[in-house]
Amino acid sequence: MRALCWNGVRDLRVERVPDPEILNPKDAIIKVTMSSVCGSDLHLINGFVPSMRAGDIIGHEFIGEVVETGVGVKNLKKGDRVVVVSVIGCGECQHCKEETWSLCDNSNPNGLLQEKIYQYPTAGIFGYSHLFGGYAGSHAEYIRVPFADHGAFKIPEDISDEKAVFVSDGVPTGYMAAEMAAVKPGDIVAVWGAGGVGQMAIQCAYAMGAERVIAIDRIDYRLAYAARYSGADILNYEDTDVLEELKEATGGRGPDCCIDAVGMEAHTTGIEHIYDKTKQLLRLESDRAAVLRQAIMACRKGGTVSVVGVYAGLVDKIPMGLFMNKGLTIRGGQMHGQRYVPMLFDLIRREIINPEFLLTHPVSLEVGQNAYEMFNNKTNKCMRAVFKPFN
Amino acid sequence: MKTEQVTHSGKHQRKWKKEFNNVNMAERLLSLAAGGILLAKHYKHPLASPLKVLTGAFLVYRGISGNCPLYTGLDKNSNETNAINTRVIFTVNKPREEVYKYWRQLENLPFFMSHLQRVEQKNDTTSEWIAKIPGGVGTIKWNAEIVKEIPNELIGWQSVENSTIDNAGKVEFYDAPRGQGTVLKVIFSYHPPAGALGEGVAKLFNPLFKTLLKEDIRAFKQVIEAGEVATTKGQASGRK
Ligand SMILES: [Zn+2]
Ligand SMILES: [Zn+2]
Repeated sequence: MRALCWNGVRDLRVERVPDPEILNPKDAIIKVTMSSVCGSDLHLINGFVPSMRAGDIIGHEFIGEVVETGVGVKNLKKGDRVVVVSVIGCGECQHCKEETWSLCDNSNPNGLLQEKIYQYPTAGIFGYSHLFGGYAGSHAEYIRVPFADHGAFKIPEDISDEKAVFVSDGVPTGYMAAEMAAVKPGDIVAVWGAGGVGQMAIQCAYAMGAERVIAIDRIDYRLAYAARYSGADILNYEDTDVLEELKEATGGRGPDCCIDAVGMEAHTTGIEHIYDKTKQLLRLESDRAAVLRQAIMACRKGGTVSVVGVYAGLVDKIPMGLFMNKGLTIRGGQMHGQRYVPMLFDLIRREIINPEFLLTHPVSLEVGQNAYEMFNNKTNKCMRAVFKPFN
Repeated sequence: MKTEQVTHSGKHQRKWKKEFNNVNMAERLLSLAAGGILLAKHYKHPLASPLKVLTGAFLVYRGISGNCPLYTGLDKNSNETNAINTRVIFTVNKPREEVYKYWRQLENLPFFMSHLQRVEQKNDTTSEWIAKIPGGVGTIKWNAEIVKEIPNELIGWQSVENSTIDNAGKVEFYDAPRGQGTVLKVIFSYHPPAGALGEGVAKLFNPLFKTLLKEDIRAFKQVIEAGEVATTKGQASGRK
C-alpha cells in the first residue's frame, strides 16, 4: 500500500509499504477514507518529540471502512463505516474501566521506555512516535487498529465523513479541554490557539453554557474562523496586550476558565519567545510554555487552567507563586475519546457543535509534505488538510 | 517440601553437565555476554533493543556457574550466597483468586515470559522448564520445585539441585485498595557467576535482568487483563 512516512525532520515521503495485517485477536484492519493532519503532528515532524524513527507512518485522526477483523472482535464487521479514536485503550485495565482511556496501562508496547520518562506508561497513540507505542499511523491506505471493539465507532448514517473525521481527535480534545476547564453556565472562557482543537474547545465551552469565549491567536484568518464559525470574540496577541484586554473583557476579574490549546511550540512576542526558543534549541528546555504562563497569569482567582496543547518534557519559568496564591486548578491530559464519541455524535447531529469548516484542504497523500508545510506555515487559510488516500 | 538452606561453599562448585558441552559452551556464552556489553554501549536506538538477548545470555551464562538453594535467601538484600534479587511490584485489575490461579498454572508462564518456551508440570510441585538460548543455539531444561504455597497468597519455587539454571522466585498476592484488583509482589533470585569477573558481569547485567522481568510482568498484566499483549512487531512501516 501507499503510506506517508516520516524520514527525518520535515522530510515526509510517500512510500510503498506492506499492507497491515492482523497481529492480535482484537485487531481490525481499516481501509482509510479520510485522515486529517493535526497540530500535534507538527511537533513530531519538527523534531520536538523524541523516539521517531525513519520510516514511521504518521497520522492519527481518521475514518474508514472495516475490511478485516480478528477473532476477538465482536462489535464490528466488514463494511462498517467507522471513526477510530486516536488514543488506543484496552478496555479492561483500571483506567479504561474508569473511562480515562488515554491512561490505559496495556496499549503501549513501549511502556517500559515511557516509564523511564513519565514514571508510568500511558496509552499508545496511532502514528505518534515510539514513546507512544510506535503504532503505524493513518496517513496510509490501510491501518491496523488494536482493541478495535473499544476504539472504532460506527458513524451514524446522517453524519457526513467531513464531520466524522474530526470526532477521531480534534472534537473530543476540544470537548475535554472545556470539561477539564470546568466551564459552567455564565462563565467567561479564554482559549489560546484557534486551530482545530481550539475551535472545538470554543464550541464545546458554549455547549456547556459559557457566556462568552475569547479566542487568542496571532493568525488573523484563524481568528476570523473562530469568530465566524465558533462564535468567539477574538484577540490577536501581536497587536495587543492580552492580559490587559482580558481584564478589560472581564470587568477586571480575569477569565473563569483558561484553555491552552497550543502546547510546547508556543509563540509569543518579544524577549520571552527568544528566551524559550534559545533554551529549546539548546535542549535545556524541551517545550516552550509561553501560553501556559500567560494562561496562569490571566486566570481569575480560583479559576481553572486546562491544558490540551501537547507538552512532551520540561518547561521552566512557570509562575508557581501565581498558581498557588491565586488558588488555581490546573488540569491536563490527552483526551479520553472512547468516553465522548457517542455523545459528540449527538451534539453534532443537533448542530450544537460543527467541525465541518475545519476541512479546508482535501488532498492526496502524494502532496503530504506540501500539505504539512502549508499547515505549519498557516498559508492558504488552511485549518486542516485531510488526506484521501484512495483519491 | 524442601526448604532447608544449604550453605554455599567451594564444595558446591558446579559439576558441568556432559550434555552441556562444558567449557566451550561457557566460553561461547561469555563472549556472547561480552559482545553484549559492546552492543549495549554502542547501540544507539533505545527501542530495537538487544536487552532480551543479552539478558537471556546472561541467564544462561550464570546458570552454568553454580547451584545453591536460593529460595530461603529471597527476602534478604544480600546474604552469604550473594544471590541477586530483583523485585517488581504491580497491580492487575482482576480478583486475587483469578490472578493466583493463572499464575499457579505454571504452563501459563511462557505466554508472558518471553524467554520461556514451555513449562510442564510433572506433578503437583515439580515442573520442567524449557528456555530458549538466545541466538538460536538451542534450548536448555531444568526442573523447579514449588517450595512454598499458600493458596491465593503466595507461591515460591526454586530450581532443583544440579539444575542448569539456578534460580528461585516468589510471588505474593494482596488485595489492592478499594477492591481494585490484586497487588503482586514478584521476587526473582539468581546466583551471580563466581569471581570478580562474574561479579562485574553480574553488576552490568542485573539492570538488564530487571528490565526483562519488568517486561514479562507487563506482558502478564496485559494477558490477564486485556487477553493479549500489545505489539507492533510485524506491522507495516517505511523502514527498508
Ligand atoms: Zn491530534
Ligand atoms: Zn486499558
